[in-house]
Amino acid sequence: MKKKRNRNSAQGVWIFGDYRNYFQDRVTLQLISKGRDLAQTLETEVAVLVLGEGIHQYAMEYVAHGADVIIAVNDSRLKEYQVETYTTVVAEIVESYQPEILLGGATSFGRELFPRLAKRLNTGLSADCVALEIDPDSGLLIQTTPAFGGEMLADVVTPNHRPQMATVHPGIFKERPHDSSILGRILYPEIDIRPDERIQLVRSRPHRTGKTNLEGADIVVAGGRGMGPKEEFDMLYELAELLGGEVGATRPAIRAGWADEERLLGQTGKTVKPKLLLSLGTSGALQYTAGIQGAETIIAVNRDPNAPIFKMADLALEGDARSIIAALLEELRKRL
Amino acid sequence: MKDTESLISAHHNYLVNNVLTPGFILGDPSSKDTFYLLADVVLPGESTPRFSARLFDNRGCFLLELDWNRIRRNSGRCPYQSLPGGFRILYDSGDPLLSVRTESFPNGYLTHIQGKLYDQNAKVRMETSYAGIRVYGEAQLSIQVPYQPK
Repeated sequence: MKKKRNRNSAQGVWIFGDYRNYFQDRVTLQLISKGRDLAQTLETEVAVLVLGEGIHQYAMEYVAHGADVIIAVNDSRLKEYQVETYTTVVAEIVESYQPEILLGGATSFGRELFPRLAKRLNTGLSADCVALEIDPDSGLLIQTTPAFGGEMLADVVTPNHRPQMATVHPGIFKERPHDSSILGRILYPEIDIRPDERIQLVRSRPHRTGKTNLEGADIVVAGGRGMGPKEEFDMLYELAELLGGEVGATRPAIRAGWADEERLLGQTGKTVKPKLLLSLGTSGALQYTAGIQGAETIIAVNRDPNAPIFKMADLALEGDARSIIAALLEELRKRL
Repeated sequence: MKDTESLISAHHNYLVNNVLTPGFILGDPSSKDTFYLLADVVLPGESTPRFSARLFDNRGCFLLELDWNRIRRNSGRCPYQSLPGGFRILYDSGDPLLSVRTESFPNGYLTHIQGKLYDQNAKVRMETSYAGIRVYGEAQLSIQVPYQPK
C-alpha cells in the first residue's frame, strides 16, 4: 500500500531548475515568477531545485529572478542528465522536504522527468498547463490544462496527494526582471547519489533538431553563411524562440553543420510562406530564394550592398548580421 | 535529511566549504595582532572582491597585512602578483600563499580562493579543497552587508 502523504505538513512552492538549455531555462524563470504569486497566496516560499555540477551561476540567476530558496545538489555524478538518477534524487529530496507544489517546464526534460516523479511520489501530474491558480476556498492548486485534443480546458486539482505537480509550457507566464540586489538562502541537502548502473552514458551532445514546423510557421528566421561561425548562428534559435518562429538555413549553413538538414530552405529543401521572414547573412542565391518567395514580408540583412537578396526584400539592412541580431536579442530580452 | 544552509547573493558569492556565501570572515578583523581573513560583500555595480587579512606562516610568524587587496605591512617580503580576474600572493620562497580569481557569468560573479593559511598559533585556518576552500576555527561564514569595523 502506498503511503498517503500528510497534506497538512507540506509547504513551499518548488520549481525544477531546467537550466541545461537556455531557451528551456526561460520557463524556469517564468515559473519562479508565477511561483511567487502562488507562494504569496499560500504564505510560503518559492524554491528552485538545481541539480548538476557547476550549478552555482544558475542558482544565482534564479535568486535574481525571485527565488527565495535554492535547493542545490552540486555533484559530478549529476553533471550529465540521466532520467533515472535524477528521478531518484529529486524524489528523495521531495519526500524529505515535502513541498506543497512542484512545477516544471513542459520541455524535453520536464516531459520526461515529471511523469516519472509523479509515479515515484504517488501523486498527480497535470501536463502542459496554461494556467495555475490557488483556489481561495480549498487552498488547492487549480491546474488548467487542455483536454480532449485541445477542444476544451480542464481545471484539475490534486486534493489528497503531495506535492501537487504540474508542467507548464514556455511563454505562458512572464518572468520578473533580474535584480542583483537580492539575497536568498541556499540549502545543500546531504544525499547519497547512486547513479543508475543499468545505463552507462557514453557521450552526450546538443542536438538541435526535433519537430520543426517551418512550412507552417508565421515567422521564419533564416540564416546563411554570413551568420557563422556556429556560436553566432546559434543566436538565431533564441531569436526564433523569442519571436515565436522557426529557424531555417541555407545550404552553406547546413554544410557547415550549423543547422540540421530539415531546416534547409530552398529548391532542395523546404518552401515557406511565413508572414515575416528574416533573411540574415544570406546572399540570395536562386536555389535559396526559390523556397522563400512566398513570404509576405522579407527583411534581409547582409553586409554586401549588392547581395541579390536585397532585390526581393521589403526591408534591406546593409550591415553585419551577427552584430545586428545580437543587438536585437538584447532589446527583445529586456521586453520579456 | 540533513542539509547545510547559507545565504546566496544574486550578484557575487565566494565558495567556502563547498557552499556559496556573499561574504565571510575568519578570525577577528578588529584584533590588533591575530590572524584574520575578510572576504567582504561585493555590492551590485561592483565586480572586484575585497580582501583584507593578517597572515602568518606555518610557524606562526607574521607575514603581511592585506587591506582591500593591497599589501600594507609585508614582513614576510611576499610578492604580490595581479592576475586576470584576481591576484596572487606568494611566499618569499615563491610558493603560493593566497590566490584569488573571480569568474564572471552573464549576470553575476563567483570568486574562487585557493591557499593554505595559518594563524599566529601555527594552526591551519584555511586550505584548498575540491571546488573551493575549507575553513576552520572562529568564522562568520555568511555576512550579508559590507563589514563595518567596530
